[in-house]
Amino acid sequence: MGKGYLCFVLHAHLPFVRHPEHEHFLEERWLYEAITETYVPLIDAFDELVEENIPFRVTISLSPPLMTMLTDGLLQERYLKHLDKSIKLAEKETARTKDTVFYPTALMYRDRLYRIRYLFAEKYHRNIIYAFKKLQDYGRLEVITCAGTHGFLPLLINHPEAVRAQIGVAVDLYAKYFGHKPPGIWLPECAYTYGIDNLLKEFEIKYFFTDTHGVLFASHRPKYGIYAPIFCPTGVAVFGRDIESSKQVWSSNEGYPGDLDYREYYRDIGHDLPYDYIEPYIHPDGIRVNTGIKYFRVTGKDCEKQPYCRENALRKTDIHAGNFLFNREHQIAHLNSLMDREPIIVAPYDAELFGHWWFEGPDWLKQVLRKVHYDFPNIETATPQDYLKKYPCNQVATPCPSTWGNNGYNEVWLCRENDWVYRHLHIIADKMTELVENNSSANGLKQRALNQAARELLLAQSSDWAFIMYTGTMVEYAIRRTKQHVQNFLRLYEQIKSKNIDEGMLNDLEYKNNIFPDININYYKKITGQVFSATG
Amino acid sequence: MSVSFTLVLGGALILVLLTVILWSTRNKQKKPVPRHVPMVTREEFAEELATPVTFPPQPAAKPDMPVIPWNYGKDRMTLMVRDPNWLFAYWEISATKQQEFSNNFGHDAWNNSRSVLRVYDVTGVESFNGSNANDFTDISINDYVDSRHIDMERPNSTFCVDLGRLFPDGTFITLLRSNIVQTPSIAVSNLLDEEWMWIEGIYRTLTRLHMGSSPMVTEEIGRGMGLIPLGISSPGLRNRKN
Repeated sequence: MGKGYLCFVLHAHLPFVRHPEHEHFLEERWLYEAITETYVPLIDAFDELVEENIPFRVTISLSPPLMTMLTDGLLQERYLKHLDKSIKLAEKETARTKDTVFYPTALMYRDRLYRIRYLFAEKYHRNIIYAFKKLQDYGRLEVITCAGTHGFLPLLINHPEAVRAQIGVAVDLYAKYFGHKPPGIWLPECAYTYGIDNLLKEFEIKYFFTDTHGVLFASHRPKYGIYAPIFCPTGVAVFGRDIESSKQVWSSNEGYPGDLDYREYYRDIGHDLPYDYIEPYIHPDGIRVNTGIKYFRVTGKDCEKQPYCRENALRKTDIHAGNFLFNREHQIAHLNSLMDREPIIVAPYDAELFGHWWFEGPDWLKQVLRKVHYDFPNIETATPQDYLKKYPCNQVATPCPSTWGNNGYNEVWLCRENDWVYRHLHIIADKMTELVENNSSANGLKQRALNQAARELLLAQSSDWAFIMYTGTMVEYAIRRTKQHVQNFLRLYEQIKSKNIDEGMLNDLEYKNNIFPDININYYKKITGQVFSATG
Repeated sequence: MSVSFTLVLGGALILVLLTVILWSTRNKQKKPVPRHVPMVTREEFAEELATPVTFPPQPAAKPDMPVIPWNYGKDRMTLMVRDPNWLFAYWEISATKQQEFSNNFGHDAWNNSRSVLRVYDVTGVESFNGSNANDFTDISINDYVDSRHIDMERPNSTFCVDLGRLFPDGTFITLLRSNIVQTPSIAVSNLLDEEWMWIEGIYRTLTRLHMGSSPMVTEEIGRGMGLIPLGISSPGLRNRKN
């Protein structure tokens, strides 16, 4: 029986939510929750496999805002404070739940948080990026990049300079931390349109991913469907998302995370326990938030939630890991009967799915990787680079514009709730190019102002803001962030043009919005001609 | 004495009342009046959405919402692709441009014509010059709108849009022309590659498993994705109950 390759891709991203001006910023908790629940548990799982000498290959993209926040001293300090508070709460919970059915779970949380503290503070000296780098050096992870601030590139492409800058600053930041250029990129929201690959090629990026129909609807029709990469006419490789493996993990109905024994996400003691008790551990303004301590299992719809049992849940991860691989084995056998080469199955997920939303996700992934090695000789985990090394010759076809958002195209990021952002984003991108073209020999204060203008532009472009406006929750924050960065940009623009730079304001912005300290604004230089000519 | 006292008291009372009334009128006058022309409706709408509905206790007072311009004093029209069927266009037209139009076509020309979006299908057209489109569709719009979602239902096609004035005699005068965009495909390509002949079995597997009656592979995936907004959207999950 022939072999096949399984390509796991984890996309790790959070928008830049660093707020030095305020100690308890609600949105900063997104980062803390993700460190505790996703990033550290994933690293722990991978480390365990390394210690067991199990070979595995997983691709992970770290978005530049996330990398910046994970290496930021202020946020590291605040995270530790947050974690210590969580530990205090977990300790308190072991006393409160003593002699109840919840006690074992309370102990589990307490021990788990102590371990996370050890890993974060002592083993990795607060630097999670280092942990990822080490796993890459061990030949287990292939770390790739993502666009600068997770800009939604298909809706920015009419200003190709802005897209080039999104890619350029990301490549530079990656190189700073990993010592070489990123081999591949995760396009934000898996969103591709004509012309993007031209800009990727400029930075020697070898591959990216699209949703299933990005490759399936490519032209000419791809020989192997989504089970082998295609090359864009520019030579950049494209890997299409597999439907089956995605659905088993993603689907809210049929997916594993909905299993009755897994932990219920919505029953958090931050919302459930009496206010007086929980008050020190929620937001100082009295806003109830998730604490991460949850005692119930999914149980079922419209019935009383039952207590969580860790052993049962872990047993399920084992069963589900086996089931997942059993299905892949069949899929591969079927594909091998049709194909004249070994297929690759691309399974991309949001990293935060694992641990944060699906509490047992990292355990499931660990079990899958362990089982592949011991029990499934016909499946091998591989990264896109591994596969391209093995099969360097691939069909040339133009991918179909697509995203992994609702209905597969751009409607999530271009709807009535958020369409107004583009009239601002486009014109400030235009103005940035104008500034760079007219100030090619700037230095000192002016150079600083130009750099900060570019940072503000980039931050305004995060796809997260449009996404939040679409979902209808925390909308005010997203609108505020968009408007704030546009306003900051416009002020800097006017000051640079009128040669009257307000150094106080500039200092303040540099301090607050300190992403991309070494930004190269030459990426905004005018691109002459079109990156892609849409004449059909 | 008592009369004059009453008078003084009465006078003082009237003064106080007057002050109160005047003060409140003054305050009323200070109420912000909409500074923008109706074009700003969309923005106001966005701010309305911003009312925090998430958590019962209100956080400490936040700084004012930053104010940014709606128009930038530049004639421009941008066309964007939403999906295989829908386009989105937004535009901005300066007073100078309107004046120019009146100068060229007469004082009453603006009032005698109406605002129209002309959507050209330029699929396969090498270099579009305004008169070599395959066909076009006119959409009447109000003078005060400055964006439009356009339902074309033409996947895999190329479009350009003009904003212009249409006269009763059919004359169309272009004010703004957009960039050119191409809608994505909704089906597998009909172009076959002889060197890399497609493997029918693979496509049949995909069709059988997921395409169902719908040509859209993405429908099923899309649903799953949309329901579990992860990462940054995760705080929103708190408010959903099973």
